[in-house]
Amino acid sequence: MARILVIAEQRNGKLSEATLELCKAAKEIASGLGATPAAAVFFKDDSLAKEVANYIPEVFAVVDGKLGAYDADYYAQAVKAVVEGQDVKGVLIPHSYDGVDYAGKAALAIGAGIVSNCNKATVEGGAVVFTRNTYNGKIQEQKSVKTDKFVATFEKGAYDKEAAGGAGSVTAVAVSLGDSRRKIKEVIATMAGSVDISQAKVIVSGGRGTKEKDKYNDVIVNLAKKLGGEYAASRPVVDAGWTDAARQVGQSGKTVAPVLYVAAGISGAIQHVAGMKGSQCIVAINKDPEAPIFNIATYGIVGDLFEVIPAMMEALG
Amino acid sequence: MKIVVLVKEVPDMESKFKIIGDAKIDESQIAFKMNDFDEYAVEAALQLKEKFGGEVVILSSGPERVTKEVRQAFAMGADWGIHVSDPQIDEGDNYVVAGALVKAIESVGGVDLVLTGVQAEDDQAGLTGVFAADMLNFAHCTNVVKIEVGGDQKALTINRELEGGLNEVLEMAMPAVLTIQSGINQPRYPTLPGIMKAKKKRLDLKKAADLGISALGEAGSKTKFHKMYFPVSEHKAEIIQGDAKAAAKTLVDKLRNEAKVI
Ligand SMILES: Cc1cc2nc3c(=O)[nH]c(=O)nc-3n(C[C@H](O)[C@H](O)[C@H](O)COP(=O)(O)OP(=O)(O)OC[C@H]3O[C@@H](n4cnc5c(N)ncnc54)[C@H](O)[C@@H]3O)c2cc1C
Repeated sequence: MARILVIAEQRNGKLSEATLELCKAAKEIASGLGATPAAAVFFKDDSLAKEVANYIPEVFAVVDGKLGAYDADYYAQAVKAVVEGQDVKGVLIPHSYDGVDYAGKAALAIGAGIVSNCNKATVEGGAVVFTRNTYNGKIQEQKSVKTDKFVATFEKGAYDKEAAGGAGSVTAVAVSLGDSRRKIKEVIATMAGSVDISQAKVIVSGGRGTKEKDKYNDVIVNLAKKLGGEYAASRPVVDAGWTDAARQVGQSGKTVAPVLYVAAGISGAIQHVAGMKGSQCIVAINKDPEAPIFNIATYGIVGDLFEVIPAMMEALG
Repeated sequence: MKIVVLVKEVPDMESKFKIIGDAKIDESQIAFKMNDFDEYAVEAALQLKEKFGGEVVILSSGPERVTKEVRQAFAMGADWGIHVSDPQIDEGDNYVVAGALVKAIESVGGVDLVLTGVQAEDDQAGLTGVFAADMLNFAHCTNVVKIEVGGDQKALTINRELEGGLNEVLEMAMPAVLTIQSGINQPRYPTLPGIMKAKKKRLDLKKAADLGISALGEAGSKTKFHKMYFPVSEHKAEIIQGDAKAAAKTLVDKLRNEAKVI
């Protein structure tokens, strides 16, 4: 039977949560297609393959000293080898930093169409239809592939994590890896700043809609102080240097879950939401009624943040 | 150093979106601009040219109006450009467009570096740069937040952004494709003399036939578009009505007495 294959992801020998989410996705898609779910694990030994076998019935282990850390060229070669040797119909890859780096290459290597950054997959009439976010989350689209095989990358959180408990088989697959054109020197931490916003009970966060540094300080920092909380920001605010990188919330910043998160002038891009969707109460202030942030907020005000926030300050007394 | 920057025109995401027939957005309602991530790529290319000499070539595929973004990059300081213009390319998927861009890059010849944004704000696929690298048989790196060029101008040291504020520092040879992440630099604004000069810079127009592109339109695509629609949320916010003053007052009251979070 054809296989739906998850490509496992690890950093420093630790499996990513996305890998476990994709195990769930593989089971769903495989059952719709009458295929079987499986995973491929690329690592320097077979320890992680054994771990993944707790989540999925069949695991292919590619073990090579070159696979201790992720590498684009090696991963594309390894995917091709497993897909061609094991009757694989579909390949599922996390839409993560590593996944984005090699998924397109792997798709070309196996001659498959790829649908990237998906949040859902359904089987309709024997074909897999993928749903994905476009236009910064304002519009969803559905796509499928025209090729015999498919590759799909999935957003983090698209599926729940598969629970451990299975006892899958682990089969070694021998792959002779060629060369890589990249060489990792080191991994460094870059998030400067000493503040730890992840412990704050109240966070007031400003986005590109705060327009400039002085205005960001004026509205966001002041409201945060008034509420006895911390101020934070979306990525464009940090990119522009209006505040420290340590205050960035999102996929490439901090993950926070305060009691109250106020998002002002933030559109609600998936990479931002990834860092704050666990907040207890979310307030969105945005002049665009269609901003995706309203889809996850508790309370929303459609309006100009430069009018709404001063009015809030006044109402707070 | 010869650098090609792939630039895409995208809608301003604050535009009013209307979907026609579940299939496309009503472009008459949309303001267009340069993809944010590509602006960082243009700036990165200009900074490399300032250090090492050479030229910066802007390459964009799309209808006539994308020349506006190409000229914007010219005004920032890029040297010349190629506008790949063919409705049959526009109708294709990422694979078709990347294939067309690659043909155009090959027509430039002797390219050391190809830079583009990590993703387009409209499609959010993050595929074009990786596809182009593979088709060109260049090395590549995505989510680049720092570029250093080795003394002989043949080797690169790159910081690749990872989750949780980490960077992977890696070495690679040129030629290469790098997809640039926001925040790597502060893109410059075009100056008035820059804008004047931009009008006269060379912009070659290429059709699919000029570039010998065979994979075209839907037939050449590897994916099939089904439909588009506005997301329906089960957790839509309670929108508080009234003018700013009244709404703010109600909100504060609800935060105190309903949600009890302040
Ligand atoms: C790999 C990767 C990692 C990323 N990591 C992160 C991350 O960690 N964190 C993050 O935030 N982003 C991240 N991003 C970027 C993300 O995709 C978005 O670009 C970003 O979140 C947008 O920030 P924003 O909402 O502030 O700006 P925009 O999307 O430009 O939104 C600005 C909003 O302000 C509103 N507005 C404007 N003026 C006013 C006004 N006067 N009053 C009220 N509202 C107003 C507008 O209607 C709009 O909705 C990442 C992207 C990638 C590709």
